[in-house]
Amino acid sequence: MERTLNRRGFLGTMSATALAAVLSPRLANAAPAHPTPRPGITGAYVLKDKDLAKTPKLIPLFDSVRKIPEIVDGIHCNCGCTRPPEFYSLLSCFESKGMARDCVICQGQARLVVRLHQEGKTLDQIRAAVDAKFA
Amino acid sequence: MKSRIVSLALLAMPLPLAAQVRASELGTVSQVIDGTTITVEYSRPRARGRTQLFGTKFVRWGETWTPGANYATTFEVSKPVKLEGRPVAKGKYSVWMVVRQDSNWTLVLEPKSHLYHMEPPDSSTSQVRIPVRARAAPFTDVLTWSMPEIRMDGGTLAMDWERIHVPISIAVEPSLITTLSASDAEAYIGKYVFSEKDSTGKEKVSAFTITHENNTLKGRWTPDDPYMKKFALIRIGPDTFAPGVYDEDGTLYEILKPDLVVEFKRENGKVSSFTIRDMADELWGTGTRKP
Repeated sequence: MERTLNRRGFLGTMSATALAAVLSPRLANAAPAHPTPRPGITGAYVLKDKDLAKTPKLIPLFDSVRKIPEIVDGIHCNCGCTRPPEFYSLLSCFESKGMARDCVICQGQARLVVRLHQEGKTLDQIRAAVDAKFA
Repeated sequence: MKSRIVSLALLAMPLPLAAQVRASELGTVSQVIDGTTITVEYSRPRARGRTQLFGTKFVRWGETWTPGANYATTFEVSKPVKLEGRPVAKGKYSVWMVVRQDSNWTLVLEPKSHLYHMEPPDSSTSQVRIPVRARAAPFTDVLTWSMPEIRMDGGTLAMDWERIHVPISIAVEPSLITTLSASDAEAYIGKYVFSEKDSTGKEKVSAFTITHENNTLKGRWTPDDPYMKKFALIRIGPDTFAPGVYDEDGTLYEILKPDLVVEFKRENGKVSSFTIRDMADELWGTGTRKP
């Protein structure tokens, strides 16, 4: 049955979740506070095509994040690998070191944020959805 | 005089950890259950050929004894829990047991966590005192704390030494409410057509049914998904649910969050469809309510 194949896929991602939970107790605990988007924040430092040569499938996601920095900067990243002040928000995961290139939780959160923003949800509604699924 | 000072200084110098050989080496058992971290830290005495310890000069009946050695064993929880049904506040405690030959033992959690094993605390109202049952068990040489049983909502913490086994049930605060009232469930109950794409991009259609049983919203594909079978739909947000998988005994043992999330859509206030998305927010499939 095809769904079995899908299940294999999500069991793989479950391992990533378990790893993230080990890396940080934050994932296993109550939803943390979301950061306030920094005034004047831009997507200028979000990685570009040339930085994503090894992961071209992620280019559309990084492009989408770059377009809504004022939203993504207001989301706490639940992947458990990030620590302030270097990582201020989910936006930070898509900048400089580009941890979102390798982290399925960063990617999943960002896809959810982008989708809900496209559906017209407010930042608070998006935060609530991110917490419900990932916190 | 100078040589005495030097000797004293040498004694006071901390030895590197690797040089500390102890009769009862330090050990830790730590377990996370639904976001609550439970940790027992203890020094582990060995029987060392002694075949009987309880009821002898080593651990006398009636004694308030720490189930460990050196500094008292500690028990720490990151959130409130219940031990044997008794509430225990978040915090760190020293652990003591009043050992008895013919009746239940008493587990004592003392808020003063840093006590030497020779300093059993007097009984006080700040302590949590819980009756526990000591059972006969196969011989255990090294005193051992363990978590031999884990459930979604708790487990069993156990102490084993000599031929004694003391199981202590733990219940944690659940992070999610798995039940749903009949009135809340009503909007979702019904038959749906579920559409998904296989690995070649070909569309597959199956039946999906949502019911309300035993105060729980449940979903099921026809034919059965071999892993999910009939699963719980656990509310994690408005019109948003995570699947909970049951074991063969009908006990929930896993909640697939954020692995799979079911989002319902409403039209004119009525639930008309749902999507299932994986952790990467990729669409797994769509269900549409049958007319």
